[in-house]
Amino acid sequence: MSFIKTFINFFADPRLFFPMAVAALGLLIWKRRAVATTRFGWGLMGFLTLFFLFGATDANFRLIITKPDNVPIVGLMFLLVFFTWYALHHAVMNDERRAQGKPPLEKDEEDRVWVWPDLVYTELISLILCSVVLIVWSIFLKAPLEQPANRSLTPNPSKAPWYFLGLQEMLVYFDPWLAGVVLPSLIIVGLMAIPYIDTNPKGNGYFTFSERKAEITIFLFGFAVLWSSLIVLGTFLRGPNWTFFGPFEYWDIHKLVPLTNVNLSEYIWVRAFQSGLPKNWLVRESFGIVLVLAYVFVLPGLLARTWLKVYYEKMGPPRYYVAVFLFLMMLSLPVKMLLRWIFNLKYIVAIGEFFFNV
Amino acid sequence: MADKRAVGHAYNIDFLNVVFAASSLFLFMSVLWMVWDDFDREWKNTQRRFVQLESEVTQANLDRIQRGVDRTRLQKLEAERAAAGKQVEANQARVNDLQGQLQQTENQLYRNTQNYQFAKANYDSARYDFEVLRNQNPERARAREAQIAEQSRRVDELNLVRERAEAERDRVRQELGKYTGQAAAAATQIAELNRDADRLRGRLTAIQPSLVKDLVLNAPLLDFMAPTLKIQQVILPNIVDDVNFTRVPKMDRCQTCHLSIDRRGYEKYPQPYQTHSNLEIYLGSQSPHPLLQIGCTACHDGMGQSVSFRDAAHTPRNHEEEERWRQQYHWEEPHLWDYPMLPVGMTEASCVKCHKNETYVADAPKLQTAYLTFERAGCYACHKTRGFEDLRKPGPILTRIKSKLTPEWVKTWIRNPRAVKPSTWMPKIWHTSNSNGPADMVRNEIEIDATVSYLFEHSDDYRLPVSSPPRGDAKRGEAVVRSIGCLGCHVIDESRVQAGPRRTFGQPLQSLGNKTTYEWLYNWVKDPKHFSPGTFMPNLRLDDQQVADVATYLMTLKGPEGEGPKATYDPQAADEVLLDYFKAVMPADEAEAKLKGLDARARHLALGERVIGRYGCFSCHEIKGFEKTQAIGTELSEEGSKLVSRLDFAFVEIPHTKLSWFHQKLLDPRTFDHNKELRPLEKLRMPDFGLAQEEAGRLELAILSFQRDIQPAAASPLRTARTEALYVGRTFVQRRNCVTCHQIEKVGGDFKQLVADPSLAPPLLTPEGAKVQPDWLYAFLQGPITIRPWLNVRMPTFGLADPDWNKVLRYFGGISDTVGPFRSHDVVLTSNTINAGKDLFQLLRCQQCHVLGEIPKDQPTANLAPDLRMTTDRLQPDWIPQWLKNPGAIQPGTRMPAFWPDFPKSPFPQLAGSAEEQILAIRNYLLTFRGGPTPKRLTAPQVAPN
Repeated sequence: MSFIKTFINFFADPRLFFPMAVAALGLLIWKRRAVATTRFGWGLMGFLTLFFLFGATDANFRLIITKPDNVPIVGLMFLLVFFTWYALHHAVMNDERRAQGKPPLEKDEEDRVWVWPDLVYTELISLILCSVVLIVWSIFLKAPLEQPANRSLTPNPSKAPWYFLGLQEMLVYFDPWLAGVVLPSLIIVGLMAIPYIDTNPKGNGYFTFSERKAEITIFLFGFAVLWSSLIVLGTFLRGPNWTFFGPFEYWDIHKLVPLTNVNLSEYIWVRAFQSGLPKNWLVRESFGIVLVLAYVFVLPGLLARTWLKVYYEKMGPPRYYVAVFLFLMMLSLPVKMLLRWIFNLKYIVAIGEFFFNV
Repeated sequence: MADKRAVGHAYNIDFLNVVFAASSLFLFMSVLWMVWDDFDREWKNTQRRFVQLESEVTQANLDRIQRGVDRTRLQKLEAERAAAGKQVEANQARVNDLQGQLQQTENQLYRNTQNYQFAKANYDSARYDFEVLRNQNPERARAREAQIAEQSRRVDELNLVRERAEAERDRVRQELGKYTGQAAAAATQIAELNRDADRLRGRLTAIQPSLVKDLVLNAPLLDFMAPTLKIQQVILPNIVDDVNFTRVPKMDRCQTCHLSIDRRGYEKYPQPYQTHSNLEIYLGSQSPHPLLQIGCTACHDGMGQSVSFRDAAHTPRNHEEEERWRQQYHWEEPHLWDYPMLPVGMTEASCVKCHKNETYVADAPKLQTAYLTFERAGCYACHKTRGFEDLRKPGPILTRIKSKLTPEWVKTWIRNPRAVKPSTWMPKIWHTSNSNGPADMVRNEIEIDATVSYLFEHSDDYRLPVSSPPRGDAKRGEAVVRSIGCLGCHVIDESRVQAGPRRTFGQPLQSLGNKTTYEWLYNWVKDPKHFSPGTFMPNLRLDDQQVADVATYLMTLKGPEGEGPKATYDPQAADEVLLDYFKAVMPADEAEAKLKGLDARARHLALGERVIGRYGCFSCHEIKGFEKTQAIGTELSEEGSKLVSRLDFAFVEIPHTKLSWFHQKLLDPRTFDHNKELRPLEKLRMPDFGLAQEEAGRLELAILSFQRDIQPAAASPLRTARTEALYVGRTFVQRRNCVTCHQIEKVGGDFKQLVADPSLAPPLLTPEGAKVQPDWLYAFLQGPITIRPWLNVRMPTFGLADPDWNKVLRYFGGISDTVGPFRSHDVVLTSNTINAGKDLFQLLRCQQCHVLGEIPKDQPTANLAPDLRMTTDRLQPDWIPQWLKNPGAIQPGTRMPAFWPDFPKSPFPQLAGSAEEQILAIRNYLLTFRGGPTPKRLTAPQVAPN
């Protein structure tokens, strides 16, 4: 038992957790035919259930998952897995039909729109069932009266609402103005821009994967890996002082993690050139600035000529550049994570003089 | 069933119907469940159960009251009413007629009154309009003057009609009264007699369960309108809750379940219904802490707004209760409220929230003992604490240590003080739970050695005034020590817990024979202030022979030798230790250079200085070179308000509550170093006091009482000159330990346990302010005289300064509310009263017990009483009659008989049998006595001889 717990604790470390989540996504897409089977779907849900049942035998794990605030996240994990599987299940089915020259399942009934009674009736039933769930939930998990808020003693860990925990996790890797302002704004802008970037009409009104490989993969990466799994990580695996704790670990407030991160400028000037940091910030950060500018402005152009040439030609320059910019911004999180884990890199550009860090 | 999908449906509608029916059923059931869940709330059930209980108690009260009703009187009144009834019947026709008339006149009056009131209302309105008009347009107003006057006249007219109707009604009523008045009067008296019973009967009906209550008022879903089961709350404008951003009036809902907390009669019922254990002082409307002003959580802490057992943050008193609560109420460790309820027995910690700056609060015996223990252990010396500033250092001075002790003895002593004197408050600093590894042994011994060397190096030369004192007799000495009063402050045989904080005020006398020299002891006993000018040890006015006897006896008190060194001294290791200390305050190279620059002796002394500085020895002892060094401990002034998240539990497995942390810390102050990897200078350094559970509990209470000051001034009791005198004096007599010998205000008097009979102990001083004259007392305190020669115990000479004596005098005055120094006494001496007084004096045989020049013979010592010739000089003339009237009320357990048990009736014939007169006569006779012993009074500035 304790061996399994130690094993799981070990792999829950974000440095392993995140790459594994990426790998899992890759595997999911690569082996989607196997994943999409009903048997695998049941297996997946069963495995998740078993994991929670097993975890519930551990006092620390139980404490975390039964905390009223965290209960919805447990539900979220089940729902996320189920719907991802469900979409994939149908997509694979339709892809197979297409291979056989048949139209997708949904096409069969294209001429019929069942509002009454089907849609209205099912909506009414959903409404009733949601009410039941909410009532029962409120009976079981009562909201307690707590002590008055104290500005000189904030809760430790201080956690954002669950839906923002992904953003909060970004704070580990980015300066607050980036993680809290720029990137969230870009997420919203990016979501609004999707209809203008993605003009592929395929997949409208039916499930498919093969007709929208890149789109679905990028979406799953952004939503399932970056957004949802970071919420799960933030809820269950971040304890006091935002220190990482395995799911079966006691949240000890005194646990220490060495803070040994360095900036790019220190790598270059102090370690490589052995010359000490220049006084002038522009000189000091020149390498970082060049790197960031290259990432944002040069890389899209390079990609347009190489790996993404197909897309560049298909989309045309304006759509291509906007799309790639947004994509690169999304990728900046995993890139920064990797840099942190591999090189202990704190900031690429660190201009403390006017609180500008990248 | 046909497949409906075929005819244009996405789903099987029949199946959907089933789903719809099932989910509707679920919704219905969950709504029912929700309603039930609200109906079944903890506090509602508590109140439902209370109905039965309240009926029981009210019924019992009703029975008791009914039994108490004066039967004969009731019967007499009933008879009167019956007789009067008969008379009414005899004139029935006339009565009926009058009753008819009365009804008519009442109706008439009603109509007339209404007419008048309506006319008046119209007139008032018209008059206002008229006034406005006149103000704006006098011309037009003039036209309406007549109309207004007419209206006014009409009102007067109607009023006249009304008054006449009223007069008519009264006339008829009076007429009727002639026939029915007697019966009505009897009925009123009967009702008066039954008033209490009727009130209870009414209450009983009101609380009786009824269908209306169960089915309508308290029914599920309907109980939001006018339920009889309600949340009970008090809002306290003068007591506040600190919600961090602001302070809001406290709101306590504890009474929702503790329904009869402020009502008598529920003492034997289990919680939550039990009556408060002390309604005299708390909650009663006549008590100093009425429920409507003080509430509950101001004292008990916990979340007052909550009506759930768990969320109110109840704290169990022990493990068994905790287990029971877990099962019964789903109790869990409170984590939703920063200040959980104080456990039973610790509530007094809250007194000081409002009783600010009083330190020793009256009627809080546990808190007082807690503070005394806090002072005795000298906690305040290292930990700055509000209310305990500017106290003397608790340990003896070490500036003259050379002339008193030997280095070897001191080393053994500080290695483990309790191994030498089991009852000492001196804590153990080395070889404790975080310094008892093999490597620590060497280091400990090095530090001990260096400390002692420093102390002896920095000791003044002191010459004993009597260099070769005479020897005495140990047996006689023991008798003196055990009887004269030494044991009020010093223990010989008892443990620290047995003796308590008052009787361990001075050093324990254990092992004195091993400690110092006979010469030193002789000089100390003779005049302690010569060696230690600041000592609190008083002078017992022993003669030289007695001093020699006492010193000889004390030298025979040999005890355990203590613990020997646990490692051999290693100079090289000593250098490393010193280097560690240097490195803590300077760079390593500089430290090494500094070390090299010192010779062996200097290194030794330098280390001693650092060690004393690190462990804070100077906090308790006067040590040269540390006169201005700051105390080393955490400030405790607000420790009780510290949040549990600020405490480091490290690797010690105890419940994460403040109380268990303090408990653990006190029992083993270095416990939180357990399993930690620390360098020697990083370790915890609070020494080990070897506290017993009970002592630790007292200190926890003291710490919990050190709270952040949030209550407004309005919450505190009113401060007057009298309360000021009480606060200052109460604290003073605790801090000077007067209360170890004398009981004052229900506190102290520990010496009573050391004598065969309570009457042989030092006197009770609660009535002292009312009893004796302040100037006599002042003279007595400065130079005590013997009042009861048959007592062995003796009032010492304290040698206090005038400000201190005045504190004491004002305190006694405060207790009896006789603060003012000026008083006149009307004592008129006439031959008549003097003679009667003399007669009674003989008759009551006062002289049988009271001294009058000579001590009465053939009386057991316990019966003897002071010389009555001191009366004029010593006693307050107003007090003597009170004393004679009922001595037991002033001094419970006194042997002085109460001669007038049926006051004001008297069993004696003198002065027309008036007890009052007789008592005054005796008093007046007593005031004619002269020539008793008297303390020397300083009436004018004196120049001392020499």
